[in-house]
Amino acid sequence: MAAFMPLVRGAIYAVIGFVIGAGISLGITSITGEDSTEPLIVLGYVFAVIGWLMGVGMWRTWGRGWFGKPTENNPGGGWERYIRFNTDHKVIGIQYVVIFVVVFLLAGLLAMLIRVELADAGQNVMTSTNFNTTMSLHGIMMIAVAVAIMMGGFANYVLPLIIGAEDVAFPRVNALSFWVVPPVVVLLLLSPLFGGFDTGWTAYPPLATQTPIGGLLFELAFLTFGISSILGGLNFIATIITQRAPGMTWGRLPIFAWAVLAASVISLTATQWVAYGMLMIIFERIFNMVFFSPPGGNALLYEHVFWFYSHPAVYIMILPAFGAELEIISHFARKPLFAYRWVVRAFGLIVFLSFLVWAHHLFTSGMGDELHGPFMVLTELISIPTGIVFLSALGTLWRSKIRLKVPLLFAVGVVFNFTIGGLTGIFLADVATDIALQDTYFVVAHFHYTIMGGEIFGAFAAGYYWFPKITGRMYNETLGRIHFALMFIFFNITFLAMFIPGTVGMNRRIAEYPPEFEFMNLVTTIASIGLGLAFVPWVYNMLNSWIRGPKAPDNPWDAKTLEWQTSSPPPLENFEEMPTVTGDAYGYGDESVVHSVFGRRKGSAHPPVPAEGD
Amino acid sequence: MTAGAIWVLLTIIAELSFTSLNIFGDAASEQGEFIDDAFVLLMLLAIPILTFVITMIGYVFFKFRAKGDELEDSAPTRTHTKWVGFWLIWTTVLCLVVIVHPGYTGLLEIRQTSAEEPDLTVNVTGRRWQWMYEYEGRGVQLLMKDDTLVLPNHSLIRFNITAEDQDVIHSFWIPAFRMKIDAVPGLTTYMDVNTTEIGHFNDDVNFRVQCAELCGKDHSLMFTRVEVVEPAEFEQWITNR
Repeated sequence: MAAFMPLVRGAIYAVIGFVIGAGISLGITSITGEDSTEPLIVLGYVFAVIGWLMGVGMWRTWGRGWFGKPTENNPGGGWERYIRFNTDHKVIGIQYVVIFVVVFLLAGLLAMLIRVELADAGQNVMTSTNFNTTMSLHGIMMIAVAVAIMMGGFANYVLPLIIGAEDVAFPRVNALSFWVVPPVVVLLLLSPLFGGFDTGWTAYPPLATQTPIGGLLFELAFLTFGISSILGGLNFIATIITQRAPGMTWGRLPIFAWAVLAASVISLTATQWVAYGMLMIIFERIFNMVFFSPPGGNALLYEHVFWFYSHPAVYIMILPAFGAELEIISHFARKPLFAYRWVVRAFGLIVFLSFLVWAHHLFTSGMGDELHGPFMVLTELISIPTGIVFLSALGTLWRSKIRLKVPLLFAVGVVFNFTIGGLTGIFLADVATDIALQDTYFVVAHFHYTIMGGEIFGAFAAGYYWFPKITGRMYNETLGRIHFALMFIFFNITFLAMFIPGTVGMNRRIAEYPPEFEFMNLVTTIASIGLGLAFVPWVYNMLNSWIRGPKAPDNPWDAKTLEWQTSSPPPLENFEEMPTVTGDAYGYGDESVVHSVFGRRKGSAHPPVPAEGD
Repeated sequence: MTAGAIWVLLTIIAELSFTSLNIFGDAASEQGEFIDDAFVLLMLLAIPILTFVITMIGYVFFKFRAKGDELEDSAPTRTHTKWVGFWLIWTTVLCLVVIVHPGYTGLLEIRQTSAEEPDLTVNVTGRRWQWMYEYEGRGVQLLMKDDTLVLPNHSLIRFNITAEDQDVIHSFWIPAFRMKIDAVPGLTTYMDVNTTEIGHFNDDVNFRVQCAELCGKDHSLMFTRVEVVEPAEFEQWITNR
C-alpha cells in the first residue's frame, strides 16, 4: 500500500488545493458580485494541479531544494517508481506510453460509438448533443495521443539512449511535463458529467464561450496539455544540443533524433499560441473580456491563432513517426539510410514551412481573398520536402535485404498510408477543390490517413521495434503479424470508404445525414468494427509478452544505434560504460564504418576520440 | 524494367477505371463545374504517384527479401545524386503545375468578385439552427425553416452572408454548386455563383443549403431545401410571394 502513497497524497493535496483556490475565488466574487461558478472552478483547478504535483512527489524531489532543504533522489527499481514523480527518462517514457495507450483505447471506443450512430441516417443511440460531445471528446483525446505518444512516450525513452546520454537535459522538468498529464485526462473524462462540450476539438468561439461547464473543463485541459508539450519540446532541444555522446556530430545523429529535434522546435514555439487561445477563451468566460466574440471581438482572429498552432502540430505528430519509420526501414533492410542528408534538410524545410501554411484551414472562413493565393502556394510546396522522405524510404528498400518483421511491416504501412494521406492533402491545399471539400468527410478521411495511417502506424512500428528494449522481453511475432494484417486492411477499408460520402456531399460532425449517403456509411461502420477488433491481438500480445515473453537479447535486431548497445532494459543512467561515437549509425555492408566504441568511464570529461574520416 | 512495366499497367488500369466512374453527378454551377474538373485533374495526377508507391512496395517485398533468417547486409549505397536530383525536379515541377492550374486559375474563377452586376442578390443570415433569406430589392423574405430557397437558372447570384450578432459561426454550403463560405457573426462574407442547371432538393439531395461549420445541438438539421428554376418561373414565384 505504501507504493500508492504518492498518488493518494497527490489526490488529497489536490482536493485541499481546490478548496483553497475555490475559497479565494468565492471571496473575490462575493465582493465584486460576479457570477461565481466558473471563476471558482478555474482558480480551484490551478491550485489543485499545484497540490497534485507537490503531493505526487515534486515537493520531495524538487520543491524542498527551493528552500535549501535536502531533496530525495529517485528510488531504484520496482514498479513503485512508475506511480510517483520520477526523473528517469525511461520511467517517464513508459508512464507516457501506458497512459496514452489507455486514452487511445478509450477514444477508440468513442469512435465505435460514433460509427454505430452513423450506421444509418437517422438518430440511433445518441441525442445530437451527446453525439457532439462524443465526437469532440474522441477528437481531443486522439489529438492528445497523437501529440504525446511519439514525443512523450517513445522519444522520451529512446532519445537519450540513441544519442548516448545518461538522461535528458532537465530530468525534473521532464517529470513535471508528465505529471500534468493525469489532470488533463481527469478533466476530459469529467467533462461529459458537466454538460460536455459540443464544439469539436477546434473549439471555435463564440460557440466555445457558450458551452456548459464541460466546455470550460476541456479548455483547461487543452491549456494544461499545452504546457506539458511546451516543456517537453524545450527539454528535447536542450538534450540534443548538450547531451550527445562525444563524437556524435550532427552528421552522425540518427534520423530519429533529427526528427525529434524538428518536432520539438514546433512543440516549443507553436504550442504557446494555442495555449494563449485557450487562455483568452477562459478569460472571456470568467472575466467577460472580449477577444473573439462579437460585438467587439473577432471570431476569425481565434481561427488564425488556433491554426497557427494546430497546423504545425500535425508535424509534431508525424515527424517523429517519419523518423522511426526511416530508422526501422534502414535497420531491417540492412542498408544505409538512403539520402540521409537530404532527409535532414527536408525535416528542416518542413518545420520552416509548417509555420507558414496555417490559413489553408481558413479558405472558406471569410478571411481576405488576397490571403488565399500565398497560403495555397506555401501549402503545396510542403509536398516537395515530404517527397524526400518517401524517396529515402523507397531508396533504402531498393536492392536491400529486407527482414520482414512486424516493425518493418508497420513502417512500410506508414509509407503506403501516408501516400494516400499526402495526395489527398493536395485536394485540400488547392483553393477550388477545398471550397467544395472543406468540412466534409473527405477531410475526415484525409486526416485519419495522415495521423492514424501515418503517425499511429509509425507509433506501432516504434512500439514493436523498441518493445524488447523497453520490457526486456520479446513479443510474439505471429500475433504481431495478425495485428498488422487486420489493422492495415480494416483501416484502409474504413477510411477509403469515407472519402466517397465526403466527395458527393456529406459534411462532417453531424449525427444525422441524408439517407442517400447511407450505404457508404454502413460500409465504413462495418469496417471500423473490424478495425476496433484488430487491437485485441495487440493488447493480448503486449500484456502477455511483457509478463511472460521470452527474454530479449540486448540487440535482437542487430541494429547499430546506441540504444541497442546496452542491456535490455537499460540500467539507470543507461550505460555501464559510456559510448564514444566514431561513425554514423547506418554503416550496413560497410565494415569501415563503426558507429560506436565503449569503454569511456561514466562522468569522465568529454575527450572526443578523434573521428576518422569525418 | 519489370517494376516499370507493372507500374505503367497499374496506372493505366487505375486511370481508366477512375475516368469511367462518374462519382459526382453534375455540378449545377459554373464554379462547380470548374471544381469538379479540378478534382478529376488532381486525381489523374495523383494516381500515377500512388501506383508508383504500391508497385515499389510490392516489388521490393517480392524481390529483395532476405532468405530465411540469414543476416546479410546489402551493398552500402548511401545516396544517388542523379536519382535525388530527378526526384526533386519532378516533385517541384508537378507542384508548380498544380499551383498554376487548378490553383491560380481556380482563384480567378471562384474567389474573384465578378465585375458584372449580379442578376440577383440574396442576403443570408444564419442563426441556431436555421437560415434566413432576403431577396435584395425584390421585397421577398424567407424566414421559416421549412421554406424552399428558390433561385433562377443561368444567372449570376451573389449571396451576402452573415450570422446574428449573439450567435455562432455557421457555414453556408450548397453542395450542388460545390461552394461554401462561413457565416460569421460580426462579418459579412460573400459567394458568387453562376447557376447552370435546374434542380430540386426532392430529386437531388445536393440541392440544399447545409450548415457546414459545427454550431451546436441541431447542426446536422440546419439545412434549407433549394430549387433552381428557369428565370421566367422564378419571376412568377417572386410575384406570387
